[in-house]
Amino acid sequence: MPSLAYPVPTDLSPATVKNTASLFRIVTLALISGAAIASRLFSIINFESVIHEFDPWFNYRATRVLASKGFYEFWNWFDPTAWYPLGRVVGGTVYPGLMATSGVIYYLLQALNLPVDIRNICVLLAPGFSAFTAWATYMFTKEMKDESAGLLAAAFIGIAPGYISRSVAGSYDNEAIAIFLLMFTFYLWIKALKLGSALYGTIAAVFYFYMVAAWGGYVFITNMIPVHALVLIFMGRFSHRLYVAYCSWYAIGTLSSMQVPFVGFQPVSTSEHMGALGVFGLLQLVAFANLVRSHVSSQNFQKLLRIAVVAIGALGASAFVFLTYTGKIAPWTGRFYSLWDTGYAKKYIPIIASVSEHQPTAWPSFFMDLQMLMFLFPAGVILCFRELRDEHLFVIIYAVLSSYFAGVMVRLMLTLTPVVCVSAAIALSSLLDVYLNPVEPDEEQDAVAQPAKSGPADAAPSTASSKSTSSTRGIFGIDTRLVVVFNTLWMLSFFVFHCTYVTSTAYSSPSVVLASQGQDGSQHIIDDFREAYYWLRQNTEEDAVVMSWWDYGYQIAGMADRPTLVDNNTWNNTHIATVGKAMSSSEENAYPILRKHDVEYVLVIFGGLIGYSGDDINKFLWMVRIAQGVWPDEIQESNYFTPRGEYRVDENASKTMKESLMYKMSYYRFADLFGGNQAVDRVRNQHAPKNIELGLPRRGVHVRKLDRPYLPSQERGHARAGSEERERL
Amino acid sequence: MFSIRRWCLLALSVASLLCADAKSSTGDSVLVVVDPKNQDQYSTFFEGLKDGGYDLTFRSPKAEGPVVIEDDAPNFAHVILLAPEARNLGKDITPQSIVQLLSRKTNVIVALPTKQSPLHSLAAEFSLILPPPNTPLISYFPKRDTPSTLIPIKIEDHSSPALTKHIEPVWFSGIPASLGSNPLLVPILRAPSESFASETTVTSGSADAVADSVERGGEGLWAGSSLSLVTGFQATNGARITFVGGAEIFSDELAQKETERHRQSGNAAFSREVAAWTFQENLVLRIDKVEHHPVNATEPNEQYTNNDQVVFSTYISKWNPTKGKWEPYSGLKDLQLEFTMLDPFIRTSLPPVRGAPGKYSTSFRAPDRHGVFKFVVDYKRKGWTSLESSTTVPVVPPRHDGYPRFLSAAWPYYTGAISTSVAFFLFSTIWLAGEVNERKRSKGSKAE
Amino acid sequence: MKSLFYFLALCLGLAYAQKIGQKELIERAAAGNGVIALDAETFDALTSQKRTWSATIQFTALAANRGCMPCKQFDPAFNSVAKAWSTVSADKRELHFFATLDFDKAPTVFQKLGLASAPVVFAYPATEGPRKTGRTAPTKYDFQDGFDAAPLAQHLSKLTPIPIPYRDPIDWAKHIMTAGAIIGSGILLRAVAPILLTRWTWAFAGVILSLVMTSGYMFTRIRHSPYTGKDGSWIAGGFTNQYGQEVHVIAFVYGLLGLAFIMLTVVVPMQTSAAKQRMQIYLWTAVIMIIYSVLVSLFRVKNRAYPYRLFI
Repeated sequence: MPSLAYPVPTDLSPATVKNTASLFRIVTLALISGAAIASRLFSIINFESVIHEFDPWFNYRATRVLASKGFYEFWNWFDPTAWYPLGRVVGGTVYPGLMATSGVIYYLLQALNLPVDIRNICVLLAPGFSAFTAWATYMFTKEMKDESAGLLAAAFIGIAPGYISRSVAGSYDNEAIAIFLLMFTFYLWIKALKLGSALYGTIAAVFYFYMVAAWGGYVFITNMIPVHALVLIFMGRFSHRLYVAYCSWYAIGTLSSMQVPFVGFQPVSTSEHMGALGVFGLLQLVAFANLVRSHVSSQNFQKLLRIAVVAIGALGASAFVFLTYTGKIAPWTGRFYSLWDTGYAKKYIPIIASVSEHQPTAWPSFFMDLQMLMFLFPAGVILCFRELRDEHLFVIIYAVLSSYFAGVMVRLMLTLTPVVCVSAAIALSSLLDVYLNPVEPDEEQDAVAQPAKSGPADAAPSTASSKSTSSTRGIFGIDTRLVVVFNTLWMLSFFVFHCTYVTSTAYSSPSVVLASQGQDGSQHIIDDFREAYYWLRQNTEEDAVVMSWWDYGYQIAGMADRPTLVDNNTWNNTHIATVGKAMSSSEENAYPILRKHDVEYVLVIFGGLIGYSGDDINKFLWMVRIAQGVWPDEIQESNYFTPRGEYRVDENASKTMKESLMYKMSYYRFADLFGGNQAVDRVRNQHAPKNIELGLPRRGVHVRKLDRPYLPSQERGHARAGSEERERL
Repeated sequence: MFSIRRWCLLALSVASLLCADAKSSTGDSVLVVVDPKNQDQYSTFFEGLKDGGYDLTFRSPKAEGPVVIEDDAPNFAHVILLAPEARNLGKDITPQSIVQLLSRKTNVIVALPTKQSPLHSLAAEFSLILPPPNTPLISYFPKRDTPSTLIPIKIEDHSSPALTKHIEPVWFSGIPASLGSNPLLVPILRAPSESFASETTVTSGSADAVADSVERGGEGLWAGSSLSLVTGFQATNGARITFVGGAEIFSDELAQKETERHRQSGNAAFSREVAAWTFQENLVLRIDKVEHHPVNATEPNEQYTNNDQVVFSTYISKWNPTKGKWEPYSGLKDLQLEFTMLDPFIRTSLPPVRGAPGKYSTSFRAPDRHGVFKFVVDYKRKGWTSLESSTTVPVVPPRHDGYPRFLSAAWPYYTGAISTSVAFFLFSTIWLAGEVNERKRSKGSKAE
Repeated sequence: MKSLFYFLALCLGLAYAQKIGQKELIERAAAGNGVIALDAETFDALTSQKRTWSATIQFTALAANRGCMPCKQFDPAFNSVAKAWSTVSADKRELHFFATLDFDKAPTVFQKLGLASAPVVFAYPATEGPRKTGRTAPTKYDFQDGFDAAPLAQHLSKLTPIPIPYRDPIDWAKHIMTAGAIIGSGILLRAVAPILLTRWTWAFAGVILSLVMTSGYMFTRIRHSPYTGKDGSWIAGGFTNQYGQEVHVIAFVYGLLGLAFIMLTVVVPMQTSAAKQRMQIYLWTAVIMIIYSVLVSLFRVKNRAYPYRLFI
């Protein structure tokens, strides 16, 4: 009987312990789910139940179509109001998983006679799925270590800001359900690999299909699993379990993913998917070689076989290179390519580079989003190396790849978060395993035990081994245990405070409604965006085309219900560049473009009065840059700077800048607001120009609220009545 | 001789009889701004208008009212400014307000003064380039006893689209205008090729004097038949404005003056024609309606699918001034239809349909491109009302079940799928049936 | 007599200046290896209002006492593009000229054009003849893609009658180096294969990579942030900004904290002496507390609004 650091009840039957433990697990998981959902409701409490940001507005609009017209109409939906006049084949260019999920929930609730508004389903979908994510992470981590690590991981991912940032209530985006699907597919893959089960492989494929239908980031799974399989093969860990798991997942997953119209034949024709296909082929080769080897015993033949496998593999790889070169296989798309060649996007695809969530990540963002998990994460990775079972390799590869990706793009922090949670949970639970274990080692055995140790590699995880074998390793005394445990608890509670703070302040703003704090701490709600969109809705013809920068496309379509030229689905660079050109040209040059596209209103967001820095003048250089990419002869970025290379908006602004439509519309009659005083642009802290003449016919609105007005000039672009005024323009 | 004159008079009276019933398509109220002293000078012109059913209101240039635009709405359907000498035409009649009148679909006739006046800047807005002040049109041909500034001008038939009948030579006195490149201009009366614009003090007509005036004019040589004396302008909304080089052309004196050999001048008929065009009696068209539908259907589709056969028809009416109503008109031979998305994808002629007056129809295959298309009818001819119509309709790709289900080209894949299924079935059957033997043999082989 | 001579010389000079036509320019370009060395006169001739040719002019200051480093960096690139142009067939070549104007040769031209910095590249389009563009004003080449020759050639190819046949010179040294490195690393690989085959090498590499990446290394790479600030500060203000040195510090802090946890979890339980073990546990716990506090205070520097603080 080993000595114990603290008394443990001994009269409990193993069954009781087991049942109590599982009851505790269920209760804990339920509480974690509750906490995960509750911490995502800040945005509803602080603001209201409203759809956030930009993309969610499109998803919401599409979901409404799905809910009202049914799935087939949604599938065939051609939206003539988007990308006017090109239109958008929505059914074929959308990942329908999110809308289908909400649609199913909506119909289910209707069938249960619960008349819930589709908007509320959309708003609350992400918090709801975060509870599932916590559960999936629990299952995944359980496969890595044990239930206690699983619970920790579930708790971490439930409240980690890195995931909350994309899943607060109202953030109705693909990522809302995709992270759950990601983790659950990984769990099923690990399960299939462990058991060599075709059933689990098939279920993994089904969830992979769901993931493909839900998020473009499915490519991460498409490459993660093959890389894992490839590493296993190279490490000589090929087994029939791997073969069965991979083949069932790949065959069924690929075939089903091709049923999503937006994906179509990509899985067999683009570079992003070629890795999975190549590993599939390699597995067949290796399996065949293994089979032959088990039947033929000649040494020479085996050597020949190995060479043959390598040769065929090399042949396949060179065939792939050849096909890519000749264009049979589409090369990496710009978005993926820019992950490897980080300068690529800025040079060739400024639209991608212009998005704030595609910027590289500085370390404070990592710390903000994951806090103490950030340094538990490497510890967990090392602990994975210590054991290095097949599934641990998965976590290691995932950790290394996703930490690189997260460093390159802010938005990929989302894929890093789960593995950080898992790995930190492994580290922390290993620590607690050691320090909560009541068994004390025997000090006398020192001399005998020490030479017996061969190294850390075969040191089995502490608890299980030390309990069963003679306890040569462990912790002495109760104070040491208490110090470490209290330190851990203190860190955990700090983590909770941190997460609550970050979630409530940084990640719960809907961005269509802005909040500002007054001097006395009182909160002002700035609702000018929605007011402007409602002005459009109420005051313009139903088919009046509105031109704006692409950021506002989805919101105009969702809230104002008017056709737009470009929107956040940035599929047509030329069309966006056309808008950029119109905005950055003089009125004389812009007018024919506006006429050609039947534009009747132009919406610009100007924040110079209230100091809203995300306005169009600050985005203007991107418009110029994107337009320059298509018309380098007509638009040149350098013309918009002063000779001294400054970006100015006051009297010193360059001539081209002053003549541009964007500039004129932003500052048109701006000086009037100051009633004769010097007008000041509060964003750029410069004097605003006076006497801007706008030749375009206008029926302007200046949405203005008492002391914090902002000024979207919506300009009437082609009143029919005009005569010679039009000609002179 | 006499008989010819008589015949002419007859023709004139017939014409005036016809005119008697003529009605404008836009309204009957006319405001005439004319000096009360000179009002009688233009009685023939005014009587002609009154006979045409117009309701004339006279106003002195000095008077305050009646105003032309009240509460942003025009008070009159047409305005005639016949007071060229007046320095001011009243507070509410400025170049800006005339432009406003036009944009509110009021038709205007403006008589230009020889002197500098605000009307000069108005003419410049309409791409009319006027000579410097006090340089009227002068011609020494044909030799006659009238002053060189009073010129008889022959009018060829169809010389201007705005003139629909034969008109006798007219007397003209006033200033010419050189025309800019604006496509909306409709020259009605051109200057004779021997004429030129010059200061009236130069009476000798010597080459030096001409050269002199050219130098002083500064804007090139104001001479020849490229100059226009009476110029119409049709705004994009259909409103018409006519600039007349001199008010005298409407006067009774010139209307009764004989041009040559006892032939009475055509001034009265010409004035009436100018008024008829300007006040939208003549050459006025409109599109009554447009319709589109798939072939073999009558109701329009909300959207068309790629490669659908689409029928497009339009109904066009012409204003009949004598009857005072719109009548279906099938006379357009060069009407075109465009099916555009940014650029025209299809441009085809839109011929009149026989047996259906006023109907123009064509059928075409929708392009194999999805997007928001427009049926565009854009008919612009000098003098005629421009016809513009644009109907938006989306063209969408086929529905998911709109594609053919079985493709003959896909037979290799079908064979592949079927043969794999069959092979799998056979394999399973044999495997299951032969399981016991297999075991035994493998055990046997191991034992060996 | 003297004055007459001057007058004559002046006349001759003028006549000469007037005479510099396309032929003269062609000869000069051929003499200068494709680049015309300009002075004020030839500059006026080359950029005369009536020119059937287009021209690219580099304004530079190569004299040593000017100390213009970018000029020296850029000059070879410009010359190599000009040289590439001199290889095209004569009928095309004579329609476009490359020229260099040094500040010390014609400061007046710099003043006239209002140039305050060098190097500057102006591209003058043709104003007459079949290649007339309707524009007369030169366009400025912005050194967006650095001082390399390839982007310059690509940019100028829009102006020249046919694209400039410029190819980056094959850098043999670099290729040989790469090949050598591959062979060398292959040999090395055989030598160190046993090390590579242990998992801890991989663990070390993987963890270091993750640490560096999560400390914002890619941010400094992509944004080209300096290693330290201009005033010597090593921590950049602002939440979305950082200096190169911060990567080191943060990676070290993360690594140390991670190490402390590994120590507590793996190494400490192996200690068989109770006293030594107790000391280790207290030590590492203290390390965690202190370093964590440092980390939080660093974060507070970056994010001023952060309300929490630990011991520091």
